[in-house]
Amino acid sequence: MAQASQADGTVAIRLIAGGATTLASSVLADSGLEHYRGSFANKAMVLPLASSAFGIAVNGRRAQQPESRGTAAPTVSHVGSTAIGLIGLGFHAYNVLKRPGGPSFTNLFYGAPAGAPAALVLAGALGKAADTLAQGKDRIGPVELASGRAIGAMVGVGLFGSVGEAALLHFRGAYHDPFMWLPVTLPPIAAVSLLRDVIDDHPRQATMILLGTTAALGLIGMGFHAYGVARNMGGWKNWRQNILAGPPLPAPPAFTGLAIAGFGALLMMRQRRRHG
Amino acid sequence: MVDRFPHYDVLAKRDTPSWNPQTRKVIGDRLATEEPEVLTPGQRATLRAVVDRIVPQPEQRPATNATALVLHKIMTNESDGFRHHELPQVREAWERGLDAIDAEAQERLGHPFAILDGDKADEILRAIEQGDVQAAAWASLPAMLFWSWRLIPDIVSAYYAHPSAWSAMGFGGPAAPRGYVRLQANRRDPWEAAERDDGRVISAEERNIHVG
Amino acid sequence: MSADPQHAPQASAGRAPDVFKPGGWVPMRQYPEIDEVDFVIVGTGAGGGTLACKLAEAGFSVVAMDAGPYWRPLEDFASDETHQQKLYWTDERIVDGDTPLKMGSNNSGKAVGGSTVHFAMVSLRFRPDHFQTRTKLGYGADWPIGWQEMWRYYDEVEEMLKIAGPVRYPWGPKRGRYPYRAHPLNAAAEYLARGAEALGIDWTETPIATLSAPRGKAHPCVYRGFCVTGCSTNAKQSVLVTWLPRAIEAGAEIRDLAMVGRVETRNGRATGVHYHRNGEWRFQKAKNVVVAGYAIETPRLLLNSANDEFPDGLANSSGLVGKNLMAQLNQAAWGQVEDEVRSYKGPPSLAISEHWNYEDSGKDYFGGWSYMSQGPLPIIWAKSLAGGRSLWGQDLIDEMNRNNHSVGLKMVGETLPDERNRVTLADETDQYGLRIPRITFAFRDNEKAMIKHAVDFMDQSLEATGATERWKEMNDTCHLNGTARMGDNPTTSVVNADCRSWDIPNLWICDGSVFPTVGGVNPSLTIQAVACRTGDRIREMAARGEL
Repeated sequence: MAQASQADGTVAIRLIAGGATTLASSVLADSGLEHYRGSFANKAMVLPLASSAFGIAVNGRRAQQPESRGTAAPTVSHVGSTAIGLIGLGFHAYNVLKRPGGPSFTNLFYGAPAGAPAALVLAGALGKAADTLAQGKDRIGPVELASGRAIGAMVGVGLFGSVGEAALLHFRGAYHDPFMWLPVTLPPIAAVSLLRDVIDDHPRQATMILLGTTAALGLIGMGFHAYGVARNMGGWKNWRQNILAGPPLPAPPAFTGLAIAGFGALLMMRQRRRHG
Repeated sequence: MVDRFPHYDVLAKRDTPSWNPQTRKVIGDRLATEEPEVLTPGQRATLRAVVDRIVPQPEQRPATNATALVLHKIMTNESDGFRHHELPQVREAWERGLDAIDAEAQERLGHPFAILDGDKADEILRAIEQGDVQAAAWASLPAMLFWSWRLIPDIVSAYYAHPSAWSAMGFGGPAAPRGYVRLQANRRDPWEAAERDDGRVISAEERNIHVG
Repeated sequence: MSADPQHAPQASAGRAPDVFKPGGWVPMRQYPEIDEVDFVIVGTGAGGGTLACKLAEAGFSVVAMDAGPYWRPLEDFASDETHQQKLYWTDERIVDGDTPLKMGSNNSGKAVGGSTVHFAMVSLRFRPDHFQTRTKLGYGADWPIGWQEMWRYYDEVEEMLKIAGPVRYPWGPKRGRYPYRAHPLNAAAEYLARGAEALGIDWTETPIATLSAPRGKAHPCVYRGFCVTGCSTNAKQSVLVTWLPRAIEAGAEIRDLAMVGRVETRNGRATGVHYHRNGEWRFQKAKNVVVAGYAIETPRLLLNSANDEFPDGLANSSGLVGKNLMAQLNQAAWGQVEDEVRSYKGPPSLAISEHWNYEDSGKDYFGGWSYMSQGPLPIIWAKSLAGGRSLWGQDLIDEMNRNNHSVGLKMVGETLPDERNRVTLADETDQYGLRIPRITFAFRDNEKAMIKHAVDFMDQSLEATGATERWKEMNDTCHLNGTARMGDNPTTSVVNADCRSWDIPNLWICDGSVFPTVGGVNPSLTIQAVACRTGDRIREMAARGEL
């Protein structure tokens, strides 16, 4: 049984690191596109690209080799991602507020989004959690990790953040396609279910299914967004405009990343219940 | 005047998504428009000289065919959809107007308008603009009305229908199916003109070579 | 490829062009000329096109004629100011008066879909009080329709056009959220916004009839900036791509390149229209005739239709047909800024302030005005500089080459109804042998006072944003209304609130000419709202046997 537990633990670390990798990938592609749109007007706009790329490498390695002890690189990456994400949030808020009209819907629609830097913070935090667990430690400072509940809570809150972003931007698109309601209806249910499991300390099968659907939704969403790009004038032949003007391709997989990490948390919770 | 948009050429985007087939045809036809055999040779010479003074050709860029385009409009006698009640139709207005301009030059300076140097030509044109005219020909054609309702709109419309003029002003030119993404101040899409800015690492020349 | 839409009618042989598909067709019902159709509509713009849809959907047989061609924007429109002159009404018209109006590209369309094919898409509601200026504000004339009723029809039109507008509109009574979200501001619009904030007044994103998200087969706006020369993206929600496809589906027939020259009457009723198509004059019988040719062609047709029964022209017992022409004021303030503004990007008017439509104090004149950010294309800009600042020669070229740093604000201002501003017939005839219109117009003291206030205010707004080398463009107008006003009294109006003429019970007028006053907003939304109301009223009256 101890071996099974060990194996479960390893799988959980893989999932959490894998979720962080997916999130970092989403951030890399998204900030790459969006900061290219912003002409890298501020030199700091390269930072999220660098840190998310670094995060992909570090978390990807962790997902493949959960036991690797590693060097200082993972810590530098995770702390960097979290810090750059937080600073990015500040910059993005400033970008929105300095526009005429301040915190208006139009500025929230078209100004710098809160979601992307927040995703970078989450990628850093999840990566750090996976690292800590891999090193056999069970807490970061006051936060207890081994139960999986803290990670579950983080994923739940993260999902709500992503839902908020999707709700805002799909509102910008006037929900012109009924499928645009999916990411604002399904993931919140998954998030509520996950948070309930965290509070009850009781992982449920339903949550697994909901998280699985949310993960799939992230990938399907990318397909929908590709279709959305094609619906703009000139379609994919006019990709230089439409990849920026159409719905963002890299955004939906953030749901996938969070859901994968959520699986890891659930697995840890289940494992602890099983083995006390 | 320094070229504000060095090496920028709207025509470089001809084969990009910025130009649809119908635009390529329309602009292609326009660039190929030559002076039609309309009006007398003397009137045509006067018109050429007037056009040169009203809209000097861009420096360091291909010349526009504004005169040919104005002549084309005169030939087709194409209305704009309105006519000042004291003016005749397009073709007749131009015939009378060009004769009157020439008569004004003869009257004041004793030379045909077409051979005047720039300053002298401008002196005549300014007189017409202000209605301060002497030639009898203006009796049937109010000079100021001809100037502001016919001469100026027709000539500047012809000149600014030409891609060379668009390039010189850093205008994006045709834009369909591809439009623009970056709408904020001081932002340009890679398919827009870069303005000369000596402080930049990559010069406007270099950027404009890659516009497409 | 189809034959040239400018020279061969496209809507024939049981089909009409599919505006959403290059080379495409949609099936279209057709009516024989000897059949007396329920309605023949003259003009397919904001008034006629909208009404054609409403009437066809109410089950009437409808033939709607337009003098212009039937375009498919995706394949027929070039990105070119000059070529796209083909959208404008460029048949000769004589202009006179102290302020002779510039017509053509400035305000007149000749196309199926009318001027909405090239309009700037600004879609505003009247201020409620502006439907009752005489009673409430002491000038002009009251509309015979209340604002609450108009508000409902505005809702209907805004939904139909998927107007992209702000979530909350700062002026007037509460209105629902616009169907689509506002577009991003371009730099020119940001200058309006910053100026308004500096002067302490409200501004907002302009409610505009171009898509901010996909809709059916129509693409969203790509911000190409050629809006007023025709939208080759189909993002612009013109009558051509909204009401007319719906009208055809409901069984209406559209006849393009069909110039109506005369409305026939017998025993005091209209019997049909004489129209020119395919090189010959033809006659379409109809139970009802709707004239929807906009404020010049509508009175022209009514006057050209004079006969023994109606020697002064149709529907003209009041003598008001052609009178009270109201062009709107379109003066501007311009300046230069450090920023690269590049106002050629995006729809021209993405930000607006209606402050001076809703604020009455501090004015020494009657009426309201709004102002919007601007994005003139090269030829329009060159004409502005050459006309407004008398620039020519190298001075003009140099100034043109600074265009990417130019920024401006332009008003849409109310002119008061004045019978001296009018449309009459000139002796000259056009290519159809019809007498052409003579358009007489002059600004009076009220307009001059409003212009002064507006350009000074816009200039201050520019100054507050740091613009330098500012100048004022004093002589421009836009939009046309009046000339067949609606009212409650047959002696002081041409039609009643239902757009039905007082004199000829089966003759209707449905376009901007019925406006008793114009307010300080672009008229297209109001024209369409009136057409929707007229459609509903006709359906109700028909049900009661009152036609």
